[in-house]
Amino acid sequence: MTSRLRALTATVLALALTGCGGNLGDDGAADGADFPDRALTLLVGQDAGGSTDLIARALADQVKNDLGRPVTVQNRPGANGAVAAKELAAAKPDGHTMIVFPGTLAYITPLAVTPAEAVDITGYDVVTGISQDDFVLVANPGTGFRTVTDIDRAITYGTTGVGTGSQLTQALLFAQAGIKATAVPFDGGAPTLTAVLGGQVDVASVQLGEAQAQIKAGKVTPIVTFAQKRPSYLPDTPTAVEAGYTVPVQQSRAIAVPKGTPPQIVDRLRTAFQKAFAGQAYRDFNTQRLLTPNEVDGPTLLGQWTGSLQTYRALVDQYDINLAGTA
Amino acid sequence: MSDVLGGFAVVLQPENLLYCLIGVVIGMLIGVLPGLGPAATIAVLLPLTFGLEPVTAIIMLAGIFYGAQYGGTITSVLLKLPGEASSVVTVFDGHALARQGRAGTALGIAAIGSFIGGTASIVALSVVAPFVAGFALGFGPPEYTMLALLGILLVATISQGGRVKALVAAVVGLLLATVGRDGFTGAERFTFENLALADGIDFVPVAMGLFGLGEILHSLEERHRALREPAPIADVWPSRADLRQAGGAIGRGSVLGFALGVLPGGGAVLSSMAAYALEKRRSKHPERFGNGAIEGVAAPETANNAAATSSFIPLLSLGIPANATMAVIFGALLIQGVAPGPQLVTEEPELFWGVVNSMYVGNVLLLIMSIPLVGLFVRILRVRPAVLAPITVLITLIGAYTVNNSVFDIGLVIAFGALGYLMRKAGFDPGPLVLAFVLGSLLESSLRRSLLIFDGDPTGFLTRPISGTLLVFLLFVALLPALQRLRPRRTRPENATAGTR
Repeated sequence: MTSRLRALTATVLALALTGCGGNLGDDGAADGADFPDRALTLLVGQDAGGSTDLIARALADQVKNDLGRPVTVQNRPGANGAVAAKELAAAKPDGHTMIVFPGTLAYITPLAVTPAEAVDITGYDVVTGISQDDFVLVANPGTGFRTVTDIDRAITYGTTGVGTGSQLTQALLFAQAGIKATAVPFDGGAPTLTAVLGGQVDVASVQLGEAQAQIKAGKVTPIVTFAQKRPSYLPDTPTAVEAGYTVPVQQSRAIAVPKGTPPQIVDRLRTAFQKAFAGQAYRDFNTQRLLTPNEVDGPTLLGQWTGSLQTYRALVDQYDINLAGTA
Repeated sequence: MSDVLGGFAVVLQPENLLYCLIGVVIGMLIGVLPGLGPAATIAVLLPLTFGLEPVTAIIMLAGIFYGAQYGGTITSVLLKLPGEASSVVTVFDGHALARQGRAGTALGIAAIGSFIGGTASIVALSVVAPFVAGFALGFGPPEYTMLALLGILLVATISQGGRVKALVAAVVGLLLATVGRDGFTGAERFTFENLALADGIDFVPVAMGLFGLGEILHSLEERHRALREPAPIADVWPSRADLRQAGGAIGRGSVLGFALGVLPGGGAVLSSMAAYALEKRRSKHPERFGNGAIEGVAAPETANNAAATSSFIPLLSLGIPANATMAVIFGALLIQGVAPGPQLVTEEPELFWGVVNSMYVGNVLLLIMSIPLVGLFVRILRVRPAVLAPITVLITLIGAYTVNNSVFDIGLVIAFGALGYLMRKAGFDPGPLVLAFVLGSLLESSLRRSLLIFDGDPTGFLTRPISGTLLVFLLFVALLPALQRLRPRRTRPENATAGTR
């Protein structure tokens, strides 16, 4: 049914293009001169209301002004974003369908699932990077842990799921620190943090924005962040690298379109997103959610992400960590 | 105390009253539409709140949430379409009442129960929020394991018809809950390499297919055999006798709903089921349940509204969202520059008490709106089946699609519709299947988390005070029928007379 609908849409579009395209050059449609010629779709592979969804909605609100067409956010949750990524791969490469691609899907999930289920970022064209989210390791104050070296016994740690940054950061840290630790996977950030607050697990790694209020109120103790440099919000908490561990893991997000989208259209989209990034409303949004801008171009982002995948794969092999086999 | 009164001053500002009204109206509407839930609606409406004051924005979003609990009852009763997991048990007696021409009574009692449950819960929230929040943190995976087990035990209590058939249906429900990517190892289970199944089967297509579509298919066949008149509409409003009968159920539902709603995750679902089971167990005529017992509507509807209100406690006093909708409201607060956390009450008293007190106003508005609307909605039943059935099917399919924007889910509704039809033909009640399905994933993940925490030692369940107590209670409930059988048969004749009356 969808394919028939899609075919119908394509036919109608083709008719419309030939109808009004008489005065255009031969490659008028292909070079993106009249892009966008209809409403755009921004796919989100996560549930409405999560971090990725809020970022998508904040951007869509701005980008539509510059493109002069509505930009609709559509949630296609499933399999950590793989459902939406697969749908994008099948969409027409004309720039009208985009996705907010979560980096962990590209560089951490492949370490936990079979190669057939993994999503390869090089199968897409990247428009622009968006921002990075830092992870922080927090402990229940009752444990008395304030630094990694305080952890002197076997512990349990909460993760936000299998194949997530939360799992990888802790698996790497505890392996390097020689701490015997059992992973307990939860379903997302909030239940994981609740388990730390309630003392069901000793520690957990969650995204900084999620733990902000609890850290401020002293309900959880920050031990290390996994950021590249100390976040301004936590000036007294060392990064894992400063504490002596090689755990360079962030959540990163990017805008991607199907492979084979004409370069002119990719450039046009990038211009629109850069204008959105510059807006005060969006910058305030980043500050409030403790997001670090990473508004790099497509090739730079691809370099970052494929580099991360290689680094993590090497580290996971080196410390003999099995992300899928923790239970 | 002055903070509480200050909150009322905030609510009574005309702008806040207006947005409270807008919120509850939207909530009621989306509650009527099966499938489209409050979480998705609030997320879509978020950009509209950017220009508002934080307290105004949250008053409106909260209104959508508890307004949806009112609206959700309507389709459960009239069309046997539960839009949310917390309305599943309402279907049993609510729809039975509708078929007897007492849909108005069912909707009226649900509205009154919802109002009382919601209001009682706000009062309790104002008084005990900080204390209760700390208690809720004591509920970890071991405690949830026990609660889920208790829920599954209640499934047998709730079901109509044969025990064995109920058990078979429940086991199928548990098996269906295992479909999807294993959250602990990432292994694929029964997904047949289909990504649409990677996160398991959603609750909505299962419930809407088995109840809604299955019911339509079954009743179409009935009509072919003997043309059945559409149910006459007798009472549009509950009589004094109905109210007296439902009074106790509303009271107990309020307490149960408040207590279970505070727990992060699954509180509203468990509370509605537990309230229903409690009423059935307490009743002198348990056989009335499933055949149009007014308490069977009053108890779960009161409990799920009380739970909806008390689920704000973990968010507002701990900064922990208890369910998907709370997570979206959490996001909305962050966008407004307010970080919900343990210090919210002291740092932002106007926001906290403004939102809490707005719920009194919202509940009154909902009750006032419900009264004329009950009469209006009940008229749906006068529509000829030949017209109503296709429209209902259409609403069902659209509703299923809107949950995940997934065409695959439409296929699932149709498949479960066929299963529901076959089950009814073979004398199976789909109720236990749906309830076991809802509880199945909670049970599995909590049990496995507990065992990880206990390092594989099952005696760990006994070492924690709350889970240990629940385990003892669980064993008591499980063994109760056997113990009763051992007792001298003094109660038997009593039951027999009750049955013939």
